[in-house]
Amino acid sequence: MSNNSILVVGGGFAGITAALEAAEVGHEVYIVETNPYLGGRVAQLNQYFPKLCPPSCGLEIQFQRIKNNPKVKFFTMAEVASVTGGPGAFDVKIKIRPRYVNANCTMCGDCEKAATTSVKSEFDFGIADRKVAYSTHLFAFPQRYVVDAAACAPGEMDAIKAACPYDAIDAGDTEKTLDLQVGAIVWATGWKPYDMEKLTNLGGGKLKNVVSNMQFERLAAPNGPTAGQILRPSDGKAPKRIAFVQCAGSRDENHLSHCSYICCMASLKHVTYIREKNPDAQVTIYYIDLRTPGRYDNFMQKVSADDKLTLVKGKVANIVECECQSPIVTVEDAVTGIKSEEKFDLVVLATGMQPSCAGAKLPVQVPVDEDGFIIGGDDKGVIAAGCAKLPLDVMKTAQTGTGAAMKAIQTVVGR
Amino acid sequence: MSNTVRVQPDLKFVQELQQVGGESLKKCYQCATCSVACPLSPADAPYPRKEMVWAQWGLKDRLLNDIDIWLCHNCGTCSDLCPRGAKPGDLLAALRNMAYRSLAKPAIIGTWMSSSKFFPILFLIPAVIYMFIWSLMAGKLGTAFPLFVTDGHELKVAAEGAIIYGGLFPGDYTIDPIFGAVFAFMAFAFAGGVASMLKSFESMPRTFIVGRGPEPSFLSCLIDTLKNEVAQHSRFTNCGKDEKDTERVKGHLLVFYAFVALMIVTGIVAFGHWFGAWFLQKVMGLEGGIAAFIAWSGHTPMPLWSPVKILANAAALALVIGLTKLTSRRSALDAAKSTSNWYDWYLITVIWGITLTGIGSEIFRLMGQKMLAYPTYYLHLIFVFMLLAYLPWSKLGHVVYRTVALAYARKIGRLPMGAQN
Repeated sequence: MSNNSILVVGGGFAGITAALEAAEVGHEVYIVETNPYLGGRVAQLNQYFPKLCPPSCGLEIQFQRIKNNPKVKFFTMAEVASVTGGPGAFDVKIKIRPRYVNANCTMCGDCEKAATTSVKSEFDFGIADRKVAYSTHLFAFPQRYVVDAAACAPGEMDAIKAACPYDAIDAGDTEKTLDLQVGAIVWATGWKPYDMEKLTNLGGGKLKNVVSNMQFERLAAPNGPTAGQILRPSDGKAPKRIAFVQCAGSRDENHLSHCSYICCMASLKHVTYIREKNPDAQVTIYYIDLRTPGRYDNFMQKVSADDKLTLVKGKVANIVECECQSPIVTVEDAVTGIKSEEKFDLVVLATGMQPSCAGAKLPVQVPVDEDGFIIGGDDKGVIAAGCAKLPLDVMKTAQTGTGAAMKAIQTVVGR
Repeated sequence: MSNTVRVQPDLKFVQELQQVGGESLKKCYQCATCSVACPLSPADAPYPRKEMVWAQWGLKDRLLNDIDIWLCHNCGTCSDLCPRGAKPGDLLAALRNMAYRSLAKPAIIGTWMSSSKFFPILFLIPAVIYMFIWSLMAGKLGTAFPLFVTDGHELKVAAEGAIIYGGLFPGDYTIDPIFGAVFAFMAFAFAGGVASMLKSFESMPRTFIVGRGPEPSFLSCLIDTLKNEVAQHSRFTNCGKDEKDTERVKGHLLVFYAFVALMIVTGIVAFGHWFGAWFLQKVMGLEGGIAAFIAWSGHTPMPLWSPVKILANAAALALVIGLTKLTSRRSALDAAKSTSNWYDWYLITVIWGITLTGIGSEIFRLMGQKMLAYPTYYLHLIFVFMLLAYLPWSKLGHVVYRTVALAYARKIGRLPMGAQN
């Protein structure tokens, strides 16, 4: 007897879309998400393409659809431990990490006030700290705090528990495992920003005022550490001169050999953030060639009309900093043939997308390419969607989610 | 579109370049990482990005007249950082190889030096010459492996005696005239090569540098180059920053100064022999005092405690250490980043040949192993001939070409970005 239900691994835009499409035609769907929230990378953005909406815009509708559909069940802080069986009859073991916070939580924030230890915030890509009792962002779904027990100081958990007026802290929470029987699996584990510390010649992770494009999103986001003000990390001043370094680690055999598709557009989008928040700032984008596919070219035309924006063909290959911690980039303008050093207040590295599962041993048998993107597996009942498959924008990610839902349904129906 | 420039690509030239070591040049997508990565390239029209596009387009004239190929000291940082594995460092090395091949005349030696398949010809020329001398002298002395005793100023073959290379290969009539001729041939070839190189540099457009005083003379630039780039390896030291680059500079300095020391030793021997023993003692008839000292100081074989011999042995040791560093670095090169070509291996092989046969000649002579000593010395002569006679067409040609190019670059103010000197 084949199983009609579908497992979706990854609760980002691709996974949510696939899950909802399948659930809304009657399939039972389980979403397994490793973060404490759904929404994936989109949740971390300030605005996203194609219409430069804030993430709450698209995600709010999706979360409503999830809440209103009893066919969708989701597990956060959960991972797939093992998969056995085949198309139509998979046995999946899910591991759920302890959250230490139960459904009584009202997001009042008293636990956060009681917590004393701070660690780097993963959600903000390390540019800000979070407490050990935390909520990643205002719009987090599910609306429930997390306690990072491993990082708690001795006795801190008790203080946090004591501070909660709703008895929502479950200090004795433990790791749970769960067995699921499903007929198909959608693999939508998404992407991670390429580790900028590997870009040693660009001072990635070393120079304070050299940030990644995703860190820049957090700087511009209203729910970010600077409440949406673009300020440079070293001294909190508004940068007057900002540079973008395209292909930072992408299209590069030494790092990611593929083009990450959206970084050129992301930098152009960032120019619009700067224009809105720091109207007088001078911006330079250093590129190999600007890749603005399809209709995105209209956006490029619009943004490049900005007279305080300079586009320079030439890849930055060296960044150092001056005594005032301003980054100094060295670049050859390949059109004029002049090599120069330019000082900026802030440099943004347009780092690319690396598949989240790159280098990891997957619990499912699927072929991957040299960069770690999944390039098959449909015939084995494992369908890749979103950026686990190839670098995409949100719109195309949603399309692959829908496509994956279709294939998953075809896998479980008619056996 | 009246002023459209039509690029006339020389496809054959592109293929030739790919064959002599620039095989990855088509991978370049002109990101300009290389020009920034290069610690020696100037701010204006930096290399090697422009050379990559010239090579892709087959712009032969530009590349053949390009001074920048000599300003590059091949640390390989550009190739290490190249996102495409296009190996710009290898392209510049390939262009230098083309220059070695074509700058000096006769061109046939350039052809022979360009591929390992001609190596036997290059080896056989000196091998035949010295074998002829060896057999001639063997006939005269009555043995091919003679031992000598000294009788006044003359050497006599004896059953119990010493190995004296000058007895079998007499300096006055065989070694010195041949190497004299070889040296003259080499100097003549270099003169022609340098002249055509300078002419090609003159043909290129120049940058007008604002605020620069009158252009210095070539001679003063050459002196500055010898003082800085040559004697102190000032550019070479700045070429690449990691461990393997510093090891390369150390290795090169050791080999360079070993050769300088051996040149001094050779100079003392020649001076002692031709000025002291021949001119002062034989022609002028002077005896004793200074004349005897000069003649003695150049007399071979030298005792091991002679300062000249100590210098020679120290140089041999420096050669072994330096060559070991250079060879191990070259064999450890990551083939995905940079590759070695025949010009690299020819030079390393010949210098190792000179070093090992030189040390071997001394050791076997001291051990009294005549059956080993004379063949080793014979090989030593062959390798020295191969280094000197073909020098302008070998990678060692850079000793002249790069020096001239660096001096010319000083003259026109083409210095690394940020460099004052």
